[in-house]
Amino acid sequence: MTEDSGMKENIVCPFCGCLCDDIALSVVGNQITDNKNGCSISQAKFLNHHDDRLAMDSSVEELVKKAAEIIVKSKRLLVYGLSSTENDAHREAYKIAEEVGGVVDNTSSVCHGPTILGTQESGESIAALAETRHRADLVIYWGSNPQFAHPRHMSRYVRADGLFIKDGKKDRKIWVVDVRKTISAGVADKFVKINPGSDLEIISALRAIARGKILDVEEVGGLSINELTELVEAMKNAKYGVLFFGLGLTQSKGRHRNIDAAIRLIQDLNYDSKWSMMPMRGHYNVAGANKTSTWQTGYPYAVDYARGYPRYQPGEYTAVDMLVRGEPDAVLNIAADPAAHFPRAAVKHLAGIPVINLDPKQNMTSLLAKVNIQTAISGIECDGAAVRMDGLPLYLKKVVDPPEGVLPDRDVLRMIYDEVRRLKK
Amino acid sequence: MSKQTILTNGRVYDPMNGIDGEIKDICISDGKIVERVDGSAKKIDLKGRLVMAGGVDMHSHIVGSKVGVGRAMCPEDHRKDPVPKTKHTRSGVGYTMPSSYVIGYRYSSMGYTTVIEPALPALKGLGSWEELEDLPNLDSGLLPLFCNSMITFNYVKEGDPSGLAAYIAWILQKVGGLGVKVVNPGGTYAWAHGVDLRDPDGEIPGWDISPREVTRGLCQAVESLGLPHMMHFHPNNLGRVGNIETTIAQLDSIRDIKGHGGREHIAHLTHMSFETLGSVEGAGTDWGDLASGGLEFAKYFNKNKHFTADMGQITFGPATTMTGDGPFEFYLWQLTGGKWANIAVDVELAGGAGIVPYTYSPKAAGNSVQWAIPLEFALNVDDVWRCIMSTDHPNAGPFTKYPLVMSWLMSKKQRDTWMEGMHKFAHERSTLPTIEREWSLYEIAISTRAAPAKILGLEATKGHLGVGADADVSVYDVDTTKVDFAKDPDRIIKTFSTSYLTFHHGQQMAKKGKVNASVNGKVWSVHPELNESLWTRINKELEVMMNDWYSHSFYNYPVPERYRAPLEQKIPVDSTSVPA
Repeated sequence: MTEDSGMKENIVCPFCGCLCDDIALSVVGNQITDNKNGCSISQAKFLNHHDDRLAMDSSVEELVKKAAEIIVKSKRLLVYGLSSTENDAHREAYKIAEEVGGVVDNTSSVCHGPTILGTQESGESIAALAETRHRADLVIYWGSNPQFAHPRHMSRYVRADGLFIKDGKKDRKIWVVDVRKTISAGVADKFVKINPGSDLEIISALRAIARGKILDVEEVGGLSINELTELVEAMKNAKYGVLFFGLGLTQSKGRHRNIDAAIRLIQDLNYDSKWSMMPMRGHYNVAGANKTSTWQTGYPYAVDYARGYPRYQPGEYTAVDMLVRGEPDAVLNIAADPAAHFPRAAVKHLAGIPVINLDPKQNMTSLLAKVNIQTAISGIECDGAAVRMDGLPLYLKKVVDPPEGVLPDRDVLRMIYDEVRRLKK
Repeated sequence: MSKQTILTNGRVYDPMNGIDGEIKDICISDGKIVERVDGSAKKIDLKGRLVMAGGVDMHSHIVGSKVGVGRAMCPEDHRKDPVPKTKHTRSGVGYTMPSSYVIGYRYSSMGYTTVIEPALPALKGLGSWEELEDLPNLDSGLLPLFCNSMITFNYVKEGDPSGLAAYIAWILQKVGGLGVKVVNPGGTYAWAHGVDLRDPDGEIPGWDISPREVTRGLCQAVESLGLPHMMHFHPNNLGRVGNIETTIAQLDSIRDIKGHGGREHIAHLTHMSFETLGSVEGAGTDWGDLASGGLEFAKYFNKNKHFTADMGQITFGPATTMTGDGPFEFYLWQLTGGKWANIAVDVELAGGAGIVPYTYSPKAAGNSVQWAIPLEFALNVDDVWRCIMSTDHPNAGPFTKYPLVMSWLMSKKQRDTWMEGMHKFAHERSTLPTIEREWSLYEIAISTRAAPAKILGLEATKGHLGVGADADVSVYDVDTTKVDFAKDPDRIIKTFSTSYLTFHHGQQMAKKGKVNASVNGKVWSVHPELNESLWTRINKELEVMMNDWYSHSFYNYPVPERYRAPLEQKIPVDSTSVPA
């Protein structure tokens, strides 16, 4: 049982990559009745945690048996998801994939996978959130709409006052670079509108100008050379700059080339000033999924164990690519909703193979899954560790008990692993 | 029922107990070395094979944020070295940044049983504890960084040594650290201001204090707390030609600090290869002016006994440089033009840790001299108990190259062979070609077992084979009375690359290099107990500073017990004498 009713403070919110850890919850009995400090998404996450729970058609033990049978029969298992559950669950999932020679991929293959590819080309000058608050006098959001997707990112880390930025509203400039005026652009100090699909050209032009090259064109991606030059001058003159970037940069034309170019630009700016960058990680623990995968396998996502050792090949062992090729004959999906987010061709294959789905709630994937196992919500109904978008690990607390008989992902996965081992003997 | 084993007829090299190649039996009961075992004990006849205590590596980057970023950004590093799962072991990858399981297995197969991670950003401690649970077959410990933290600066500036000591005690307890690491004190922080601060007497921007004051403050704090391991020190100005001067100046600046309980050594200088770059007489500080400072530093070392050092031996071939010294990595990246990562860390490592993949070439002038430096040093020291073999894994090369390093130390023939194809600067700018000394096996056992255990303050149970020690034993397949290692360097490499047997806490981990166990070891942390008023004060003060300066709560800073309890071995320290 959890502690008695009352106020629970310094709770970490398990929704987005900000992992705000100042949430104060009122708990009465086993009910969360109030969420102080949380954004509207956080409110919904905590207050409605018992809504829309995933229905199970038999006991967890029975479902675990069914799941293990599917896995043992499978020749090419895909384990997918992991970004909305805590680190221990990841570690159990890798064990299953390794045991049966399957593939394990996390959701970064459809969000910041290109970011990782960019860092594999060039490295990365990685920012930290407290650093940003204390030092950054220029912050750029590129292809990212934090007011919508990370509602407290700006107020908590960017507009807030810092040690060297005494007045976060006056002393710090925020730019938004996007193809349309988003709500974040509306509250920024400057909005730079660019042509869709022109990110790579623009970043390359900025870098060339920063290196003193003369460009023999009048405009790039909707920005005149004068405008571009002004941007570069302001970036060079900043004392400490931070670039936050979102899927507008990673998933638009150019993909990992965009990120590679951005990394090189930010690296170059360090000759004149201090600059670093950070991907706006969406799911609260997608950064953790990359981290756990990397320490166990050497690789952050798209890992195949078919040969008994981890191999890495984005484009080949990434979930969408595997499904579109019709390769997996079973999927173990954990804390993600591929049926809702994957392209049609991938979902079509998914619908035709046995899917084992672990999630606290109903989702599109649960509708086509053969085995649905409801699990506890990490950070609300069970504890665990997660990783913030800047790499900071934080401990998620258990606030209330899960529904009767509902276990954390890690426990269910451990049971599946044990059953798989038993069946294989 | 107790588990007992007796290893008979081993040729034992156990310097802590003065044993230099005697035939002896080693008795093991319940994970400890004991006087005798009963008749039911499992008997293994070693038939004269070489026996040492399990290897102790006091400086190897095996877990944590920068290792993770390094692994993730270098898939090309791992591809060449896949490691399949076996009945007893998990799969993974190897090379310069092996995955967690493989690190444990490879150390096991080499006869190592204790490895310390020497650079932990304390606020990321939770991640390292999680990772250690997936790093089997080794005992370990973490050294948190205190050198670029605004909290450290605050107490140094305020002239409050008790506050600084209490901050250290709080972090070690709450995060679970074994000692105090200092890397480029103030310099990394200065870089966050865009300032390249390499002068130990320069000013840390905004604080009106110098790297020298921070270094002295931290060194004094460690001694006042009476921590088992002295300050683990990576000075300012690393990796620059001529830096032997600043390194010696920094060591001089702490020489007068009194060791706790009269102990002689108050600092451990790590990876001296990067800190004792000399320059040709009358020349400048360009890379073309580089000369070995190894001999000069050995002379200083022999005269000044207040510190110990490890080599950081360059091994040639691929390496991955990673350090809390972010500005150094930025500098190195300008030389390589390849990949560069920098990881800014809230408050504690403002400028950031850095990572740059690097390949050392024997044909390169600079690299060849860098290679000569630690060898010239190690072959001129008069006290091997203060001189530790290391490669600063993976900075100067992966730990799997230790057997090669041993061969250079033990065989002039091997050094001559390697120098044949090497850049002429190695010959012209070091005295290495003229050095005849060859380390004995006894000296190897000191430098890779006994001495590091002692320097870490773990000598009661580690680094030796006396009664009461942990039963960490490595057996190598060689009869030392029948080989002349100095004349047969390939045999050195073959012998030490894979142990014949490795025992950890009495359990067999590997046989003939094949790992047949995957079990968690222990992770040490020191728990300095402060007097109540100081403990109350530091909690109050840290709550204010942390809540002002960090981006997460003071209450979410500690690493929860749940992640520590399965592994943690607490070492209590009575620090109640530190005044409030």
